[in-house]
Amino acid sequence: MSGVVGEARGGPLRYGLLSVAAMVILLPLLWLALASLRPQAEIFRPAVEFGWATFIPSRITLANYAALVRGDFPRAVLNSTIVATATVIAGVLVNSLAGFAFAVFEFRGRTLLFALVIASFMMPFEAIVIPLYLLVNAAGMTDTYAALVLPEVASGVVIFLFRQFFAGLPRDFYEAARVDGASWFTIWWRIALPLSWPTVATSCLMLFLVQWDSFFWPVVAASGPDHTVVQVAIARNVNFEQSDWGGLFASTNLAVLLAMIPFLLLQRFYVGSLVSAGIK
Amino acid sequence: MLRSRGVHWWFLAPALAGLAIFRLLPILIALVGSLFGVSIRGDVRFVGLDNFVVLFTDPEFWASVRVTLLFNVIINPLQLFVALGLALLVRPPGRGIIAFRTVLVLPMSVSTALSAILFGLFLEKNMGPMNGLLEWIGIGAQPFYRDMYQALPTLIGVATWKGAGYWMLFLLAGLYAIPESVNEAAAIDGASRWQRFRHVTWPLMKRPMAFVLVVDTIANFLFFAPVYILTSGGPAGSTNLLMFQAYQAAFTHFDPGRALAISTVILFIILVFVAIEFRMFRPAEGS
Amino acid sequence: MMHEAISRRALLAGLAAVTAAPRLSAQETALSVPWMGWPEEQVRPLMAAFEAANPAIRVREERLPLGELLKTLEVRLAARNATPDVYIVDGPLTASYAARGHLVDLGPVLAAEKDRFLPSALAQGSFEGKLYSSPIATSSQLLFYNRKLLADAGVAAPSADPAQRLTWEALLPMAQKLTNAGSGVFGFSFENSSRPYQILAVPQSWGAPVLGPDGLTATGYVDGPGMVASLTWYQQLFTTHKVSPANVFDNGVIQQMFGAGKIAMVLGGTWNLEGFEKAGVDFGVAPHPYFAAGKPVTPTGSFHVGINPRTRNAAQAQAFVKWLAITPAMELWLDLRPYPPVLKEVWEKRSKTTFAAPAWQIVQHELVHTATPRPATPGYREYEDYLRLALQDMQGGAAVQPTLAAAARNIDREMRKYR
Repeated sequence: MSGVVGEARGGPLRYGLLSVAAMVILLPLLWLALASLRPQAEIFRPAVEFGWATFIPSRITLANYAALVRGDFPRAVLNSTIVATATVIAGVLVNSLAGFAFAVFEFRGRTLLFALVIASFMMPFEAIVIPLYLLVNAAGMTDTYAALVLPEVASGVVIFLFRQFFAGLPRDFYEAARVDGASWFTIWWRIALPLSWPTVATSCLMLFLVQWDSFFWPVVAASGPDHTVVQVAIARNVNFEQSDWGGLFASTNLAVLLAMIPFLLLQRFYVGSLVSAGIK
Repeated sequence: MLRSRGVHWWFLAPALAGLAIFRLLPILIALVGSLFGVSIRGDVRFVGLDNFVVLFTDPEFWASVRVTLLFNVIINPLQLFVALGLALLVRPPGRGIIAFRTVLVLPMSVSTALSAILFGLFLEKNMGPMNGLLEWIGIGAQPFYRDMYQALPTLIGVATWKGAGYWMLFLLAGLYAIPESVNEAAAIDGASRWQRFRHVTWPLMKRPMAFVLVVDTIANFLFFAPVYILTSGGPAGSTNLLMFQAYQAAFTHFDPGRALAISTVILFIILVFVAIEFRMFRPAEGS
Repeated sequence: MMHEAISRRALLAGLAAVTAAPRLSAQETALSVPWMGWPEEQVRPLMAAFEAANPAIRVREERLPLGELLKTLEVRLAARNATPDVYIVDGPLTASYAARGHLVDLGPVLAAEKDRFLPSALAQGSFEGKLYSSPIATSSQLLFYNRKLLADAGVAAPSADPAQRLTWEALLPMAQKLTNAGSGVFGFSFENSSRPYQILAVPQSWGAPVLGPDGLTATGYVDGPGMVASLTWYQQLFTTHKVSPANVFDNGVIQQMFGAGKIAMVLGGTWNLEGFEKAGVDFGVAPHPYFAAGKPVTPTGSFHVGINPRTRNAAQAQAFVKWLAITPAMELWLDLRPYPPVLKEVWEKRSKTTFAAPAWQIVQHELVHTATPRPATPGYREYEDYLRLALQDMQGGAAVQPTLAAAARNIDREMRKYR
């Protein structure tokens, strides 16, 4: 069961480097999380008075979170969850099918089509938002879940990811199955997908994060009260006159923690493949 | 490759239909739009390459191209190597590794705009804890995004803070796909740790690395929310990325022709970069 | 009290509307109304009160976050179709929308109401002599000072009487006395030190024109002698005298510093009255300073509403805009979100209650006598953007005249499309 960097499994260098990385990552987030527990008036401490009080609240309050629960945040979390779940399910199926085709089949125009797939995420969203809005508006989809989900299901990045992985699988797998009389759909569903759990897990995360982080498009396409998503609810805490820092920090903190749920759920697919490799 | 007798269309149709309607058609409209001028009353008129001529004779545009290239030449390899390093560090099992891995990916769920707001406050000169800390340990307060030499590195740092753990995940998936037996065989043959990395891991990681580098490059050419939130392209133009210029033209200066022309230029620069990257990471045939 | 009755009824109607998704009956019309992303409890009750008064009309408001408001309106308006029906307009952008054909002339709709508005608010909604957007709020600035810091430094508190307002010349030595680099205390700061909204009052008080009379010419005005002299004075606050914290732009940090006792005097908006109270600062207020050789000028302007010319519900849209000009509606709005009102009647009705405090006495005086709207130009957004960058560069130490000259050239280039 030796790993890729081999025996360094418990080495002090390894843990030293990881600790430094974790510190850099955590410090701003920790500050954010602790600030969200402070009373509004104490959220910021002057830099010249640096000390424990910069990070540790003098008194902990859940007032910022209580205010969130009363406002539109729970509804926004629900909406984002609906939109993200629909996108993940549809997206993994649709994009893995296309990735499989690009990796396994030979057909005329394959290179050109693949170039178009890559090009599909090269244009700034700000440049295509007006035509996209006209399209969605003409289809009568504005202010619906469909307007939020449909444009994000087919994803050039995720197709690319699946293609890279499927192209790396030994071709004998497919050929052997074909000889046994399996249809291509069976091969995709029964052989290719089960072999690529880490890739499937990663694509789920990608599609989930696209929706969880999305911001400008939901505002343009579906900003009615029934379809408010998480990032829009968070952004409403920022005002020209007086921003609600407590609300902003508490909602950001919650959004980060909630987004960890799918990651923790999917994490076992990484561990799982490891265990099976060890058992072999 | 296998001959498919047309069955590939069934596999491709759903995804390609979605991409064609929601991405490729709007992109086509945007590309064509760069050849048109829009009057303030909304009248559209064909101007040929005029938008590009105006752009290419504008010194601010070329300054912005330089900043954009500098930003990308640094940030893309940096993020790839940081992500690869992290992936190698968390790949082998060990005590507490799952916890480290979870911490490393935490920032990916902070949206880009929020990461800019967060660091805007975290690194602020008067009220930010970072400068308090630097002052306290004797380094002294830094202006970060308010200084023309520190602003671009600060943006690169913020983007890497958010991105490194995310890109690590893809490379980690790649590392898991390397059969343990390959490594073990090499170890039995007496290969050193470096030799195993160089001759076993690296070649087998080419596909995932190509993926990360290409997708990361595209993401970084389109990166601009932190510029908008933190620096507005300044100080003294030091963070004036092309994408920010495109945004300004579209939404602040109401010049859609210029905005689409810049977007088209960005698209072409990305194409060149991505073509080079694909060549660099082309997997050895028959691997 | 009448307004309380209205707000309670409105609140109930609002709650009902939130819980039961409204279904349109055959006779009902729904108005698409992009609005600011204020909290739901500050927006829905206003709409619900309108719906209660106009049972055949439903308002479908969308609360757009500040950062996305203008961007989203651009996308919607660029489509040049029937949506939105009515939309919230940032006052100084009225001319921009009007010049591009995105606003209806409200003159005929509000003909009978015009005298009921504060003139400075109406001026902000007008372009080329026509009223294109109807104000629903305005704004004003006050000098907030920390009583304890002033007392500790032996600085006399400034008078609250507009007749005895501070000059900038008198403020500077006070700020110098209050500044203490050792403990990180600054004597004075603008709340938004790079926003033309707030800073234009400096050259205007000096007597300098800030844009050509045609609203389209910047060179010779933006870099004119008055702008250069007054903004050199502004720059020195940061670079020479160091009484103001440089390079702090727009992220609420100035408010936090005042709250933490790190700035002694802040020139800021009325919204801080509530914020500083919450922060627990013992503060006083005084009127906006001016240059001794010039005249008192104060920033003003806020949100307006306007009608999309392509709406298919013109009558209903007009009814909504007209309703927002009646006193009970604006009183309800004041209770929901305390912007300085734009209707004279609201000021009169609340003079003994809401507006009895000295701070509001000052604000009322400013709105009538010194409030100066931002220049009415279709290119305001371009103008504001380049001027803001110039102000930021000046705080960083860039030479004033060349910086303004460069900004003027950029503005002139962007203005060409409106000629």
